[in-house]
Amino acid sequence: MIEINATILAQILNFLILVVLLRAVAYKPVARLLQQRSDKIKGDIDKAEADRKAAEQTLAQYKAQLSDAQQKAQAIVDKANLAARQEHDAAVEETRKEIERMKQSAQAEIESERNRAFEEMKSQIVSLSMAAAGKIVSKNIDTKENDKLVNDFISKLDKSMFADLK
Amino acid sequence: MHEIGVRETVNFLGLTFNIETLKMTWLAMGIVILVACLATRNLKVVPQGWQNFVEMIILWLHDQIDAMMGKRGRMLAPFIVGLFMFLLASNLIGLVPLMASPTNDLNTTLGLALLVVCIVHCLGLYFKGGHYIAHFFQPTPVFVVINMIEEIAKPITLAFRLFGNILAGEILIIVLLKLMPIWMPIPSVAWLAFSIFISCVQAVIFTMLSMAYLANAVREDHAE
Repeated sequence: MIEINATILAQILNFLILVVLLRAVAYKPVARLLQQRSDKIKGDIDKAEADRKAAEQTLAQYKAQLSDAQQKAQAIVDKANLAARQEHDAAVEETRKEIERMKQSAQAEIESERNRAFEEMKSQIVSLSMAAAGKIVSKNIDTKENDKLVNDFISKLDKSMFADLK
Repeated sequence: MHEIGVRETVNFLGLTFNIETLKMTWLAMGIVILVACLATRNLKVVPQGWQNFVEMIILWLHDQIDAMMGKRGRMLAPFIVGLFMFLLASNLIGLVPLMASPTNDLNTTLGLALLVVCIVHCLGLYFKGGHYIAHFFQPTPVFVVINMIEEIAKPITLAFRLFGNILAGEILIIVLLKLMPIWMPIPSVAWLAFSIFISCVQAVIFTMLSMAYLANAVREDHAE
């Protein structure tokens, strides 16, 4: 039952052939496939990590841009406010000056109007007085004397009677 | 097996061969190659069907190899995968009626064991050189005797363990079939089931021990 013969050599040879065949047929492709798969998984993980980093970077960039935009918007609003205030101040000042100017011109007009009225009144008073005096002293007084008299009266009247008009 | 312990032999080129063992070996080889071809015929990155099974075996052996042998062990992975698959197929075909395991012949098991031991010593010398020879003389030169006995015992135990287990299983199947009447199949069926288990376990044991021996030769030893 236990006898060693040339079968032992044949079996060793058989097994070596089997190993060579198996290595070529099965082991190599499977090992390569396993390697491929682990490479793929590793690549996927690396890629996912890279994507995540890129996404984080983009997010940070967007945040920075957003805050920058907000700052810019705030600056624009501030500038607009300032400009509006300045414009408002300028308009108020302008209006004030306008009012002042109008007041002055109104005063000047009043002054000139009053002067004109005064002159008119003076001339009317002269003619009225002349008419009145003419009626009273129509017979004996000549024109020269008359004029002199009237003018004296008027110049006196000027100072005393219209003092309150000034 | 026709008659226990008697083997048909043929003479070829003046050498004697056990023809039944050879036939069964070729059958086992064929089965292994067929399974391997079927399993790897349509490899995909996403595994499916048989591919899972083959990948499982290869990954498990890779884990064992990495744990026991380190980086250099990967070189031996095809050898170990082949050893395991061949032993499994060989042990199991003996359980089919009218067939015999190639491993019920001492020629097969001793041949494999000697092959393993030869590879161990060759790789040991190749990777470690003088250190490998020196470690037989440690801690004192007297130990060389014990070490030699151990080295000689390795292939013998490896071969006889597998041979004995498988041959005993097959003998007992025949004995049970002859002893029991045909209407009482329970003992032989139970023994057949146990033999399936034994076949797998013996294949694993032979492979693991071979790996352990190979690991000694291949592993990078930081202590030395």
